[in-house]
Amino acid sequence: MTNYRTHSVEELATDDMFRRWVMDPTPEISNFWKQWNKENPDRSGTVGQARELVLAVKDIYADELCEEKLQFEIDEITRLAEKHKQSTQPKVFYWSALWKSAAVVLMVSGLALLYFTSRSPEKPSELAVQTTDQPLSMQVRINNSKKEMTVLLSDNSVATLSSGSRITYPKTFDSRERRVYLTGEAFFDVTKNSKQPFLVYTNETVTKVLGTSFRVKAFDGDNTVLVVVKTGRVSVYPKKEYETALDPAGLTAGVVLNPNQQAVFLRNENRLEKGVVSQPELLSESVVQKDQIFDDKPVTEVFQDLEKVYGIVIVFNSEILANCAINAQFNDENLRQRMNAICQAIGASYDMVDGQIVINSKGCI
Amino acid sequence: MSQRAYISQRIDIHVDLWQRFRAGDSAALGQLAHVHYRALYNYATRFTSDSDFIRDSIQELYLDLWERRSYLSETAFVKSYLLKALRHKLIKESIRLKRFQEPQSAFFDPENTDPSIETNIIEDENVRYQNGRLKQIITLLSKRQQEIIYLRFYQNLDNEDIAQVMGLGRQSVSNLLYRTLKEIKGIWIPVEFFWGMMLLVNL
Repeated sequence: MTNYRTHSVEELATDDMFRRWVMDPTPEISNFWKQWNKENPDRSGTVGQARELVLAVKDIYADELCEEKLQFEIDEITRLAEKHKQSTQPKVFYWSALWKSAAVVLMVSGLALLYFTSRSPEKPSELAVQTTDQPLSMQVRINNSKKEMTVLLSDNSVATLSSGSRITYPKTFDSRERRVYLTGEAFFDVTKNSKQPFLVYTNETVTKVLGTSFRVKAFDGDNTVLVVVKTGRVSVYPKKEYETALDPAGLTAGVVLNPNQQAVFLRNENRLEKGVVSQPELLSESVVQKDQIFDDKPVTEVFQDLEKVYGIVIVFNSEILANCAINAQFNDENLRQRMNAICQAIGASYDMVDGQIVINSKGCI
Repeated sequence: MSQRAYISQRIDIHVDLWQRFRAGDSAALGQLAHVHYRALYNYATRFTSDSDFIRDSIQELYLDLWERRSYLSETAFVKSYLLKALRHKLIKESIRLKRFQEPQSAFFDPENTDPSIETNIIEDENVRYQNGRLKQIITLLSKRQQEIIYLRFYQNLDNEDIAQVMGLGRQSVSNLLYRTLKEIKGIWIPVEFFWGMMLLVNL
């Protein structure tokens, strides 16, 4: 048995048995200390101080976590862990060598097609016609591959275009608004800019945001348009209403979505329906998890890796960056989060220019 | 409110629990997460008042461990390891999300070296005559001193663990703790007979 007679205030205040007595006593512990105090009246000063110390600290630093909330969080961790397991297991199979080579072939053919289509003079699509009244030079990207395509926009926003989808956007955005046209499906991670709303036009809806991440699914053959929100707030309007309203404040037909909410536009009924996201997998940028681990890796190699993983071009000066190395582990982070973290780490910044990422850095010491 | 968090016990991770975790049993992860969840949550509230942010960060912390489960040793579930990892995560995420633009008075600021408690006390001479003055004395300590008191007497970590979490040498921890306790005692006048009475009444 511990000899508590020789304990200082500090020692008592950190003794488990003593702390139990002060904060969460059982009858046995209570009896023990009652007896002990009776037998050692000369130590009551020390005991009192230790007691006050434990209680004061507990009081000052109390938090609001209740038992229900705690249990909820634990359940959530368990649930997500289970989900991760399910989603990581098939990944091994998914990335078999066969698939990899097939993906390469598809990507190459996709790129070839893209090159061809973006060069071809005739663009008879309805969307292209709509854009002609604008003085902005419009870019069209069509994803004919089976993989997702990463599209970099001039305001540093990123669109991840799904297979069989098309996006039209200006080379540089107009100063009043950032407008893109989508047919098919894309995940958007939009740079925050409250002065310049970002608008995604589909045939029937307009989705308006200031800075956030969300997915829009609007394939021509479907009779619905789906918008799901990952972060931030998003407004969705039927296109007819959006275009005819003179005063944006007077728009009533739209719905406002918060994270994990979705809007479904029913084409037949020309009506928007709001709800909770029904397919959580739509909330990530990519269907394929792009895990990357960099262990004290030169940042130039990191950029080359990112170029490969996202199929993009990163422009940097390798001499200036020669001394920069980073440690990082990316799992669910999207491209912008990865770029932000890396640039933060090496004290650099980046811009998206002409569909490429350009790194501005003064180098590392 | 449950008192569980305030009582630190050496929790031995049972061998079978550990093996189940390694084998990919998510319920085992839940049990391991439960052991220090309260302590982690409370520690995070010292850095930010955004409870959603805290919950997300702790969730990520455990899911990271889950992802790396086949490479982990049991150390990864020791309290000081988790506190340190969480601290690191909170700071990293805060920078990324630019959260530091909204400074919180609750923050333990590791860079800050405030003047000694004496200076602060002089500004609030009443403190020594008021009830519950120990509480006030503690809140007047420098952020670093508050953190060490917090880790020692709230989280009940020993000096070695505190050194780990705060990223200090062991000697610095024991110096800082010694100095802090001495300062507190210098101001905190014990009322011994009063305490003797209180104890008997309380029981």
